[in-house]
Amino acid sequence: MKTLTNVNVASFSEAASASQSVRQQGNVPAFSGGGSDLLQQIKDGTDSADVIVNLRNVADGRTIQSDGNGYAIGGLVTLTELSEDTSVIAGMPAIAQAAASVGTPQIRNVGTLAGNVTQRPWCWYYRNGFNCFKAGGEECFSLNGENGQHAIFGGGPSFIVHPSDVAPALVAFDAIFQVTGPTGSREVSAEEFFVLPATDPVRENSLGEDELLTGVRIPSVSANTVSTYYKVMDREAWTHAEVGVATVIQRDGNTAQNAKVVLAGVAPIPWRVRAVEDFLAGKQINAAVAKEAGEIGIEDALPLSKNAHKLPMTSAAIETAVLSLAAG
Amino acid sequence: MSDFTRQGLEPLRTIGNDTPRIDAIERVTGQAKYTRDWKLPGMLYGKVLRSPHPHARLVSIDTSEAEALPGVQAVITYENAQVVWGAGSVNGGRQYNDPTKAATVHRRYIFNNPVRFVGDSIAAVAATDRHIAEEAVSLIKVQYEELPFVLEPEEALQADAPKVYPEGNLCPDFQGEFKPMVSDVGDVEVGFADADQIFEESYDTGFIHNAQMEPRCSLAHWQGDKLVLYTPSQGISNCRHDTARDLGLEDHQVQVIAQYMGGGFGNKNQNQDADLVAATLSRRAGVPVMLEYSRREDWLGVHGRWPTVQHYKIGVKDDGEVTAMQMRGYSGMGPYRKNSGGIGGMDAYGCPNRYREISPVYTNRTTSGNFRAPSEPHGFFGIENMMDDVAYKIGMDPVEFTLKNMRRPTEERPFTNYSLDEVISDGVERFNWQARRKVVPGSDDGPIKRGAGFSFMMFRAGVGTSSAIVRVNSNQEYTLYVGVTDIGPGAKTTMGMIAAEALGTPLSNVEVVWGDTDRCPYSVGESGSRTTIMTGLAVVEAAEELKRQIADKGMPSGSEVLIGSATPIPTTDGKTRQCFGAHFVEVEVDTRVGSTKILKYTAVHESGRIINPTTARDQIRGATIQGIGQAIHEDLLYDPRSGQPLTPGYYRARHLTHKDIPDIDVHFIEVDDGYGPFGAKTAGESGIILAPAAVGNAVANAIGHRMKSMPITRDKILGAMA
Repeated sequence: MKTLTNVNVASFSEAASASQSVRQQGNVPAFSGGGSDLLQQIKDGTDSADVIVNLRNVADGRTIQSDGNGYAIGGLVTLTELSEDTSVIAGMPAIAQAAASVGTPQIRNVGTLAGNVTQRPWCWYYRNGFNCFKAGGEECFSLNGENGQHAIFGGGPSFIVHPSDVAPALVAFDAIFQVTGPTGSREVSAEEFFVLPATDPVRENSLGEDELLTGVRIPSVSANTVSTYYKVMDREAWTHAEVGVATVIQRDGNTAQNAKVVLAGVAPIPWRVRAVEDFLAGKQINAAVAKEAGEIGIEDALPLSKNAHKLPMTSAAIETAVLSLAAG
Repeated sequence: MSDFTRQGLEPLRTIGNDTPRIDAIERVTGQAKYTRDWKLPGMLYGKVLRSPHPHARLVSIDTSEAEALPGVQAVITYENAQVVWGAGSVNGGRQYNDPTKAATVHRRYIFNNPVRFVGDSIAAVAATDRHIAEEAVSLIKVQYEELPFVLEPEEALQADAPKVYPEGNLCPDFQGEFKPMVSDVGDVEVGFADADQIFEESYDTGFIHNAQMEPRCSLAHWQGDKLVLYTPSQGISNCRHDTARDLGLEDHQVQVIAQYMGGGFGNKNQNQDADLVAATLSRRAGVPVMLEYSRREDWLGVHGRWPTVQHYKIGVKDDGEVTAMQMRGYSGMGPYRKNSGGIGGMDAYGCPNRYREISPVYTNRTTSGNFRAPSEPHGFFGIENMMDDVAYKIGMDPVEFTLKNMRRPTEERPFTNYSLDEVISDGVERFNWQARRKVVPGSDDGPIKRGAGFSFMMFRAGVGTSSAIVRVNSNQEYTLYVGVTDIGPGAKTTMGMIAAEALGTPLSNVEVVWGDTDRCPYSVGESGSRTTIMTGLAVVEAAEELKRQIADKGMPSGSEVLIGSATPIPTTDGKTRQCFGAHFVEVEVDTRVGSTKILKYTAVHESGRIINPTTARDQIRGATIQGIGQAIHEDLLYDPRSGQPLTPGYYRARHLTHKDIPDIDVHFIEVDDGYGPFGAKTAGESGIILAPAAVGNAVANAIGHRMKSMPITRDKILGAMA
């Protein structure tokens, strides 16, 4: 019989140590914040964990702190809390909007920031038990199969799309990812945190064994920053992004001084569209510029046999997101 | 919003008033006992082992480890429990009965070898708890010889296609012959020769799961030679009869109890394999066995609406008169034919020359079977998109085109009444059709485009004869015994209201006894939209019989009771009893991201006199919501290389959520055709027939491209716009 052992811990470092000792005893640990997805994966057999390192009693990582400039968001902050936090809504609306767009109210009430950012892919091959790269196998079944929801950027050898809405918004705000392991804590940039399948086809991020994401830090949000998260969904609730666009612009009048444009749902990691960012720098934000930004945004896309529809969709989403940040 | 136009109908005392369900309090307070809520002493839990392959021969099975697991009390397999599931596969997809049983050549058993789809059942265990049962199933060792498989119906008919049965993949008909179903009226070649223009187009539709909230569940309890079956059946009497036949028992040896159930939409007609597996496990173990399917098992192991391909050819004169209609269709039945595989819709037109040929085809997908109006929504999607397209191509308003060509009663084929002209014109006015539709489809400027679509239908209920018993005691309290349960439309309440009206007493003075074959007389079952008219008629006549006795003998006194009963044979004097409807929908399509949003939805129906406005309205709304989901989202995608299903379940199938559901205006035109109880006709299934066609037509009107493949997902819209 599949039995699960629950291990309660009081801190992140204790969690990392507990995970390590479970592994040393020959068992498979898994961290559980909200647990909404983990338990289903265990039931489905797509996660082999038999010891749950339960983070419900961890006191740290549950607050959102802001000094009016920078932010520190705990990994155990729920998506509901993140979406309703007044300082986040005021300074980083894209993050609040992304959190509010996740799943359903029930999922957002238990789902955590860290869990959302590190959730496993929702590829229908992986989730249906195919022995794909993500399950430790040697093949991506989408490549010659049903790939309508798969990657148009950054794919190969796996073509999953990163499922998080919150992650692209964090990347667009230059968030620093805080990681704790058995030997201590470290901070990494988004570039280091998210990993393309060409580097590691099994995992979507650089968390080592027994390491967990404990929170994020956004060092500075200038007063002239505007942002938005625009998500194209297949229905009004309980879907991942067909495409999502986190856009952060430092705006002077109606001129974009700097822009960050990061996509969800189209690449194996939150996908920065640097060509669009470069294009927008110094431009007036208007309909023509937004449209061109959308067109530039798909120039490097490599669609598979059944997902070419994601190209116009991505263009339109970038256009909509950028234009929504025009002044006035 | 909804309202009612009563044509020449006198208001009644109980009928016609918004009435809460008589079991509403029990349901919303958690007191209602559903099948899975029952706990019997010593009860075991069952679990089924299912095929991981789309097609495989079972070379060997070893259950020794499972049997040795502590807590396991019964293990049954295809080798030692070959019980026929009669209703699981029948020639012609006809209602299961003795002649059908005799004619059926391809049997479905509770366990099959070879297995013919991912999810086909192989063995089952009963153990002291669910976890042990699950583990025991995982300990069963099966050696499979994998066989080639086929997923698509047209492909399955190719000469070199893998064969699901040795005879090939075309399903046998009622006579056991391997021929398509053909309906040939008039002479289409003459009709095409008469036409000024001929249009040809192909449509296809996907597999739609019934997606009822409560998965299949069954609790079997043998008491000596009698089987007590707690099961969420849409028809307790038919479930009893079919279960007895499959297990070699007499009807009186089976008692079926379905006090409460969590929806069916056709998924729980007759008996199900879960009933037979639970009964067989229970008999083997000598104690009650509860078997509940997981959501995934329910999705893959039971059945849904068949996917179809429809090739149309339509001949039309320049003035819009349709002279010939032809359709060749293919329905993917999975490996067991649980229903006809019909593709309806053409019969709603009056054209004298019609040829229809439908090939129900075996494939290695999950089984296709009954789903609310089994043959209709996908067929109406095809034919009404086809006709809408023709109308615009010859420059006609599709409503005008319909009024010119829809079927009307004739002297040879009379109807009990006909109200389609009124239904359509009422909808045109309420919806403001002329203002909302685009005379030139796709003519909105800009990427966000609006358009309007329309569809119409006529639908005939199933037939059958029911009984009812009404008793009165000396307190003048009435008890109605009626063999219904409530699968959603509210039959318990409707039957109580009909009794109250007929008896001239308030509904609160009528106790309704339902959902138990040992306590209630035969009823046709809540399928085929027939309970209100068939069982309702029995209730009226039983009440009349009781009233005659009361008139004769006076009200009972002391410990006396009087009992009236009736088993009327409903008749319509050779006329066709149809209900009618027309739906109008306005959509907004964002052609940049391929999304379809419903802006306005108007549904007009004529179902005779409405017994309970509350539940009738909700029937139309609920059905419409299902239809919209079917139109724009739902499908069951298979991996072509492995034959594995990829999108089972609520998350992947993208059913509408509450946030997706638009306001749906429902309007009833009420008439009395003189046949049904107090003038009622049929309603339950009819609402789902129209939405796929109406939404499809609206999308085409908005974007100027005909969408020929359902569901109309965003990738298809973006593909059409590219």
